[in-house]
Amino acid sequence: MNIIVCVKQVPDTEAIIQVDSVDNSRILEEGITFILNPYDEYAVEEGLLIRERLGEGKVTAVTVGPSRSESALRDALALGVDTAVHITDEGIESADPFAVATILSKFISSLPHDLILCGRQAVDDDFAQVPAILAELLGLPQAMFVVGLEIDSQDMKCKARREVDGSHEVVEMVLPAVITCSRGLNEPRYPSIRGKMQAKKAEIPRKSLADIGLDVESAGLASPKVKVRSLGLPPSREAGKKLEGEVDDVVKVLVEELKSRKLL
Amino acid sequence: MEPTRIIYWNIPYHNLVYILVIIPIALFIWGFIRIFRLIALGKPDNRLDHLGSRLKDKLLYVLGQWRVFKSPLIGIAHGMVFFGFLVLLVGTMLEALHVLFHLFEIKGWFYLILSFLLDILGFAVLVGIIIAAVRRYILRPKYLDRMWEDGVILSLIALVVITGFIVEALRIAVLKPPFEVWSTVGWTIAPIFEGLGKSSILTLHQIMWWVHMALSFAFIAYIPFSKLRHIFTSPASVFFRSSLPKGELPPTEDLEQAETFGAATVNQLTWKDLLDLEACTRCGRCEDACPAHASEKPLSPKNIIIDLRDNLHRWGAKIAKAGDEGPPDDALIIPTSIEPEELWACTTCRACMEQCPILIEHLPKIVEVRREQVLMQSAFPKELQLTFKNMETNSNPWGLGWAERGKWAEELGVKTLAEDADVDYLFYVGCMGSFDERAKRVACDFVRLCQRAGIKLGILGGEEKCCGDNARRAGNEYLSYMLMLENIETFNAYDVRRIVTICPHGYNTIKNEYPRFGGRYAVFHHSELLADLLLDGKLTPCNNGGKPGRVIYHDSCYLGRYNDIYAEPRKILEAIPGVVLDEALQHHRKSFCCGGGGGRMWLEEEIGKRINEMRMEELMGKDPQTVVTACGFCMTMFEDALKAKDMVGQVAVKDIAELLWEAQGEG
Repeated sequence: MNIIVCVKQVPDTEAIIQVDSVDNSRILEEGITFILNPYDEYAVEEGLLIRERLGEGKVTAVTVGPSRSESALRDALALGVDTAVHITDEGIESADPFAVATILSKFISSLPHDLILCGRQAVDDDFAQVPAILAELLGLPQAMFVVGLEIDSQDMKCKARREVDGSHEVVEMVLPAVITCSRGLNEPRYPSIRGKMQAKKAEIPRKSLADIGLDVESAGLASPKVKVRSLGLPPSREAGKKLEGEVDDVVKVLVEELKSRKLL
Repeated sequence: MEPTRIIYWNIPYHNLVYILVIIPIALFIWGFIRIFRLIALGKPDNRLDHLGSRLKDKLLYVLGQWRVFKSPLIGIAHGMVFFGFLVLLVGTMLEALHVLFHLFEIKGWFYLILSFLLDILGFAVLVGIIIAAVRRYILRPKYLDRMWEDGVILSLIALVVITGFIVEALRIAVLKPPFEVWSTVGWTIAPIFEGLGKSSILTLHQIMWWVHMALSFAFIAYIPFSKLRHIFTSPASVFFRSSLPKGELPPTEDLEQAETFGAATVNQLTWKDLLDLEACTRCGRCEDACPAHASEKPLSPKNIIIDLRDNLHRWGAKIAKAGDEGPPDDALIIPTSIEPEELWACTTCRACMEQCPILIEHLPKIVEVRREQVLMQSAFPKELQLTFKNMETNSNPWGLGWAERGKWAEELGVKTLAEDADVDYLFYVGCMGSFDERAKRVACDFVRLCQRAGIKLGILGGEEKCCGDNARRAGNEYLSYMLMLENIETFNAYDVRRIVTICPHGYNTIKNEYPRFGGRYAVFHHSELLADLLLDGKLTPCNNGGKPGRVIYHDSCYLGRYNDIYAEPRKILEAIPGVVLDEALQHHRKSFCCGGGGGRMWLEEEIGKRINEMRMEELMGKDPQTVVTACGFCMTMFEDALKAKDMVGQVAVKDIAELLWEAQGEG
């Protein structure tokens, strides 16, 4: 079974995000630790589990991103994926979901693929678009937000349990298919030192757009469907106010306060 | 007639002894070759450095029985047997030299003194054995188990001594030389046999002589096959003791090159580790001191040693023979000999090693097995995975953004070394002081005290990394190695010479473990610096209206047992007006862990009682107004205990720095 896991490198969830004052459509990368997107860890883990359960198969991690995103692939290698491919080119960091999906679909269609696993969304922009577009471009069935997955390698089918509002939906699909993985699907492992060392030394092939048969135009980079105009931090929350004293006085103050804020 | 005794008197065919003795000696040699071969399975480890201090320790811990005596009753009993045996051995050797080589005569006053000494010390051995038997079978302290070899050994020694005395008494009963009053024990019991008549005594004497010989031979042959082997292996264990600082874990294999890490099977421990297994006598002192055991966890340091030894005896030969397929699965330490729950229950408090009379190194073995579990198997309690990842990404166990590490110090005007590297000390704050709300207050008070005393501190802010202690003791050598190297690189880039820290864990690892990785600094715990500042008169505590009252100081493991810092915190407390310092039930080297060390801080404590609550209850028994610590881990553990026991407000938990700052006048 050939399993492709699409991963993305994102800023650490605890990183302090600052918007670039010169170009406010981007964030300052200085002082930020980049990590493998947490949801993608579930995708990597699921790929490894399927390979282990079947006793055969190949798990390939692929990312589309600037040169720093290689570390996300090394993390995936440390966890145990067989190979990793880094698709990178000038300006690729500003690719919108459609462009990323286009690049991925072009690359994946050149590989044998029976199952494509992605994280449910990337925790940086939270678009959650790439997997769905990718499935459409490849003409494959898709199941999003999956928390349970059974693979039938005999009949090349899968049964996916996906989260829907307040409930679960079980879908059956023929393979190949695109699955996005959600928390609860599995418990991602901790890499062994052997994995870490191998990942550190591994050669990760880099492919340019030209290498996979695309250019800026056909990849959708030249005319993005989504353009980020500006980024802004959420307003910092005002500290709460504690009113103390006799109930009657406090109530008066409270009413005044609410009136002055036009809440009453 | 000149006082002496005819050797082999009344023993025809006594030369048979020289043939028969071959049997026990052969068994003895065969047994020890077997042990030696098993020990040789271990990995290499140089234990021949510092020969001088090795010999000194040997005198202290073996001949001086230094730690054995720390437990008075059995200390005295063991001392009687030990010294008794030593003198009996010397006496027997002298007689052997006399009989075999005629080097000298044993007669006259020399004979009398020797006879007297041998009798008295033989008697001492008997008393010692009786005390030991009473303790093991009647008093039954709970850390002492009863295996059949214990009974065999006690009976064997007692019978050897008793038959020896009977043989002596029977000889005296026949010959009655008046000078034999110096063979005091034999002389005293000789009259019992006098009524038997000479020929009966002579026959009985012969029988008892052979019985005495047979028992002695059995004793010799039994040595390598029972805990009696400790007669030889324990002194060896002391002699080959670790020469590392107490606070340094043995280094691991080269992380970049090695194929395997830690110990999956016993042969992956060092030869000294295996020698330790053969040296243990199951005395149980380690178990008695272990907080995990006291809180009803499945861990006992004694059982770790015993179970590893059983593994070595059961599987050692098979492991040695195993080829490329590797040892059989049943030989794996986990789970055959040690359960994961045992392995992860250890708080690395070092109480076991502090107690062991023969300096067995329990902790390095536990960590070595943890290393294998973490690095090779990725097998560890689930909670630790997040902790490890947090340390990797944000260099602190909570995973809080690393860039905010120095934020606590903003309002105090402490500069980072990047801003001003000309400082008296680098203040290594540690994860606790940087991120934990409670410990931040300690960091602040310590800074204020230094500012008051005119000491210029600098911090690293976001450049400071987790010290690596918790990762290292939780077996994640790779992670701790990365953290240590990052810190060392930063320290060295700023040419840091002196470091002060409020965290005993950071203190221990920077002081004792960083040098091996190229980080050599003068490292001080804040209690050391503050005690010095008080001594120099740079800080003068006064009674500031606050009444600390009855204060109990809790010795943190990493400050006390690891680094022998007991006096400084107490000096600080004694200098504060209004402090009435009392000691906990268990204090100094016997202090009871808070439960937070060795990575336990980040693990749930689901089995048995909670260590922090046990310690807090013990401390509360002294009715203190304030419990004082010098460690952020201990403080958190105690405050958690107070919350869990619904005792918040009944006692204050404070750091020495906070108490000292409260006692500073306004000017």
